[in-house]
Amino acid sequence: MTETVDPISLQVIGGALHAIAEQMGTVLYRMSYSSIIRESQDLGAGLFDRDFNTLAESDSTPMHIGSLPGYLRGIEKSVPLDDWKPGDLVIHNHPYFGASHSPDIAIVMPVFHEGALVGFSANTAHHVDIGAATPGLIIDVPDMYAEGMLFNGLKLYEEGRRNEALWRYIQGNTRVPGLVMGDLAAQIASAELGVRRFQELLTTYGTETVMQATRQLMDYSEAMLRRELAKIPDGEYVAEGFMDDDGRNRGQHLPVKVTVRITGDSVEVDLTGSSAQVPTAFNVPFEGSTKVACFFAFRALLLDTYTNPDPVPANEGSFRPVKVTAPRGSIYNPIAPAAAEARFTQIQRVVDLIIKALAPVLPDRCTAGNAATLSFAAYSGVRRSGDYWVFLEVNEAAMGGRPASDGPDTVEELMRNTRNNPLEDLGMHLPLICDRYEMRDDVFPGAGKFRGGMGVVKSQRFLEPGSITHEADRHHDRPWGIFGGQEGHGGKVEIHNARNPAAVTQHPAKFSGLLTAAGDVMSYLSPCGGGYGDPLERDPGKVLDDILDDYITPEHAADAYGVVVMAVDDGYGWALDPAATTALRAEVRSRAST
Amino acid sequence: MPETMVRTGQRGQVRVGVDVGGSFTDFVLDDHRGGGQRVVVHKVPSTPHDQSIAVVEGVLGLCRRADVAPSDINVLFHGTTVATNMVIERKGAEVGMITTRGFRDILHMARHKRPHNFSLQFDVPWQSAPLIKRRNRLVVSERILPPDGRIETPLDEAAVRAAAELFRKRGLDAVVIAFLFSFLNDVHERRARDIVCEVMPDAYVCTSSEVVNAIREYERFSTVAMNAYIGPHTSAYLRQLEGRLRGAGIDAPVRIMQSNGGIATVANSIARPVGLLLSGPAGGVIGGRATGEACAVANVITIDIGGTSADISVIRDGQLTIKNPRDTQVALLPVLVPMLDIDAIGAGGGSIAYLDAGGAFRVGPRSAGAAPGPACYGRGGTEPTVTDAQVVLGRLDPDRFLGGDLQIDSELARRAIETHLAVPLGLSVTDAALGVLRIINHTMALAINANSVAKGIDPRGFTLMAFGGAGPLHGVALGELISARDVISPLHPGITAAIGLLVTELQYEYTRSVLIVLSTAGAAELARLEAAFTELAAEGAAQLDSDGIPMDQRSYQRIMECRYVGQGFELRARVPDGPIDAECLQAVIRDLYDVHKQVYGHAFDDQAVEAVTLRLIARGATESLSLPALAHGGRGDPADALMYTRDTVFDDGRALPTPRYGRDRLLAEDTVSGPAVITQHNSTTIVPPGYVARVLSHGDIVIAKEART
Repeated sequence: MTETVDPISLQVIGGALHAIAEQMGTVLYRMSYSSIIRESQDLGAGLFDRDFNTLAESDSTPMHIGSLPGYLRGIEKSVPLDDWKPGDLVIHNHPYFGASHSPDIAIVMPVFHEGALVGFSANTAHHVDIGAATPGLIIDVPDMYAEGMLFNGLKLYEEGRRNEALWRYIQGNTRVPGLVMGDLAAQIASAELGVRRFQELLTTYGTETVMQATRQLMDYSEAMLRRELAKIPDGEYVAEGFMDDDGRNRGQHLPVKVTVRITGDSVEVDLTGSSAQVPTAFNVPFEGSTKVACFFAFRALLLDTYTNPDPVPANEGSFRPVKVTAPRGSIYNPIAPAAAEARFTQIQRVVDLIIKALAPVLPDRCTAGNAATLSFAAYSGVRRSGDYWVFLEVNEAAMGGRPASDGPDTVEELMRNTRNNPLEDLGMHLPLICDRYEMRDDVFPGAGKFRGGMGVVKSQRFLEPGSITHEADRHHDRPWGIFGGQEGHGGKVEIHNARNPAAVTQHPAKFSGLLTAAGDVMSYLSPCGGGYGDPLERDPGKVLDDILDDYITPEHAADAYGVVVMAVDDGYGWALDPAATTALRAEVRSRAST
Repeated sequence: MPETMVRTGQRGQVRVGVDVGGSFTDFVLDDHRGGGQRVVVHKVPSTPHDQSIAVVEGVLGLCRRADVAPSDINVLFHGTTVATNMVIERKGAEVGMITTRGFRDILHMARHKRPHNFSLQFDVPWQSAPLIKRRNRLVVSERILPPDGRIETPLDEAAVRAAAELFRKRGLDAVVIAFLFSFLNDVHERRARDIVCEVMPDAYVCTSSEVVNAIREYERFSTVAMNAYIGPHTSAYLRQLEGRLRGAGIDAPVRIMQSNGGIATVANSIARPVGLLLSGPAGGVIGGRATGEACAVANVITIDIGGTSADISVIRDGQLTIKNPRDTQVALLPVLVPMLDIDAIGAGGGSIAYLDAGGAFRVGPRSAGAAPGPACYGRGGTEPTVTDAQVVLGRLDPDRFLGGDLQIDSELARRAIETHLAVPLGLSVTDAALGVLRIINHTMALAINANSVAKGIDPRGFTLMAFGGAGPLHGVALGELISARDVISPLHPGITAAIGLLVTELQYEYTRSVLIVLSTAGAAELARLEAAFTELAAEGAAQLDSDGIPMDQRSYQRIMECRYVGQGFELRARVPDGPIDAECLQAVIRDLYDVHKQVYGHAFDDQAVEAVTLRLIARGATESLSLPALAHGGRGDPADALMYTRDTVFDDGRALPTPRYGRDRLLAEDTVSGPAVITQHNSTTIVPPGYVARVLSHGDIVIAKEART
């Protein structure tokens, strides 16, 4: 029986583990080549024990945080624990063996100390192109074999020696080897660093002490989450929504049903009642994505790092109180060989619906309906040299209003938190130019005491012919308002040619391999968040600010918020009319109550 | 070796350094008249509402103390937190922005990444407290296209004029002009600026490409927005300071510390206040380097420990570390100006120790600050702090605190630790206090490692220099944790930053984004690089001309910020002197390889290298400070300096009778063996058992493990 590690050493070792994971993440994104990793930071890195528990993870993108244990369990099917040797390095991305989805390739190295396997140093990163049916992203494909290269627990290094055949195979099966091989090199450097630093920590404090400390740190994180879960009344909380379509069968909405069962200090998320699996790539790997989304939801709701000043270590402990159920054969737990690459918007909706389900009992911690989507655009083309160019762009959306503040505008919400790409850097290197990138101005934000956030509009113009695959959702199921707030807006995809800007065509949220001509401009308009609380309770000063800042018009201020403004000649144009506002609000209230 | 210290061309000047901190403003006077050599220091409480009041009062006090007439001061160097505070407190100017149609919200969207991963209620400061409100961000038609900067849509001059007229009507103080791709072609920005200046002749107007001529729209726009936001009030402050000084009979020119560790004139600081954002902490690092030079050590890790925070920086081969431009930000807003790589963490003497809701033992970042302060101050603070732990362990003597100027109560410290930590944890008060120090020291050590080991620097070859009032209390423990070679406690730990002001030089940086693949550069590309550097050098020379710096005191350094083609982050590679030719580019590529390897542990020898931003640093040498040498002591047991002996608890938990030495009575080459405590007015140096402290020629103390015999 190992002795309990004292609280002081615990703090010291916990800090060291976190620092290692952070450094792994930093090396990975700073060294990498593709914009999806280096700018967007679509990656995760961390340390794990022999039982695949997360000991520490980099604070990078929530989707990656919590997915690696699934990879490790999947790898064990082909590389049992006693097959690992020092200097080995495994590459893995199989969606039915724990991967988050196939483009998120994991690099895993064992950590040996004093001759024994102690754990793993591992990272995942989103690769631009793994040789799938269409460049960069896929939607409308028949099965997982169209996803491109699948690595199921393959040793890329054996005892420090690289498998050159495998390396060349990868190089020859991606459209952009220059990016992918550089990114893999960055992942390898990051994993090696993790091994080295973890070993140093083990040397300093001894394996027993470090591993005992990690167990206590996991127990601590678990206890912190359970404490909060216990405060929620036991019961079943349900919320439902739907997704636009599967990217092939237009007009066929896909239901999403989330049942949250709270029992004491535990919770089960049951996705029974959601759509059956679909014939396209619009399915969600269960281990690597569905479960991770549910883990995220409870950490964000109950251990909110903004309102809770004491950081809770990012480790396995926070996953333990959360059980996830999704019937086999459903969109959240598909059966092979269904493709499952385009999975992000579905899991965003799981998180959003968990928030909605619990909102009645967590009014001070929830949000109104978030955009809860993702616009993932793969722009590509072939240069005159014959080389492909592929650019993956993540477009942000917006959040719903919140108990004490407006929903953030134009921001990465929920499971994602990537960076955008500098337009000037892209313009210097790609035959693509951005014509517009700002807040939407064709709709008003979801009205509320705290209004919803405004979505984004981004327009990219092709300078040469090319193609686009676009993965998104939520044109149709508008983000909801809550506690009297009004709903937000769905998204749009519009295409026109720069020579004829008036001829705009509307497109579904997801489409595959759409060929584009020079001058074609694709505009993505993201959903906007719903409002929180009665708009009549919104501070009139904030309503005036929204008029002056061109979020809303004076007419909308009167209609939605009962706020009256008057024209003034101060350069800004409008001032509050407090008396008329009071009168109008009283009138609207009395109308509503009769 | 210690070049700036040897170069004692003081020409009989009186120079003053003034460093404004949160609680105190520190002063140093260096008088070299008549062949003599005198250094006088002084300290007064800061006046946060108008820093210049304390500055002027303090300078006058310093003059009295030094018996120098205010009019005898030849030059005054100033480190100020005015600009930074303005940003943190959001008390800057009302700024208008004219930008490219279609891109109104670049500042609002930022990089679209939110500041917290696991949060739903997070704040987005650039949206909730923007430097420029959306109503004041107006768009005009114009379009410059990459990659060559050609004009696709001409500038709508009438729209610019209309925007300026609206801003005038709104009574705005400042206007920025920021267009996409202006780093390729600034003709639209310049034309728009001229129009705005016509309409608003009194406004503070600047363009994005003149403030920082670099690629990446959000970062460039943010930088120019910041410049305009702090511009009007910073100019007002500097002019007011000059006025107050003149009024007090001090006619000396004023020089301002910049974030990059150089100094600039008032006029330059007014034009580019964005260079002042690290003016405060930069002085400490420069002072640390100067102390290192005086002690003949070139590799130094500095840690400046104050009440609420600690600033960490690394000096390698005598060179200051410059932050990667991708990391330079203030209050979460990027500013693309060169800054010393100073990492501030929330750990200091006032850091509060507590048990959180889950029972975890935490220290900081919450701080008791100056009010109420640590429990032992007796000003109403009840929560235990790091300072309280020091008092409980007998490392800070209550009766000697600030030379006895501040009365502290050790019983209050003991009670705070007992109530909040020892009893709930079932530990003795001593063990709980040791725990507080162990946790805070590890927090600082992790931060030091993140700035050294994580960047390829091996601390075993470095000296840890711990200053700030609380620095030398932690120095040896930190040095041990990071495996530093040894530890230095500078002569004046509390005023190292003010000393730094007297040892730096004029420094200006100029940039141009010129994206060229070096590996395949031909004659045309070489000529473009050469021409760009020549233009930058001319700008630098013109500035040094206007500062009246003689030719033989000038130096220029050229840098290419490079990456492997396809990467997104650049590193600094040095450009050798001489013409830009193929050989020169090979040297740049080799340097990038070395730097990349050092920073990331890996580098590529088969990848093409791309230059992104050219940078030219123009320096003008100024005079420097040399502290007087101490008389030789050479004593192994400096009994003269021994004051008294008290019990002190060291990190292994042992309470040992520990002698106190007065630092002002120690002489050069005296050695003191641990356990010992060396005290001075505003600082205490701990020498644990097994360590020996040796006094160097100018009074700095180096502490190292006792050589085993």
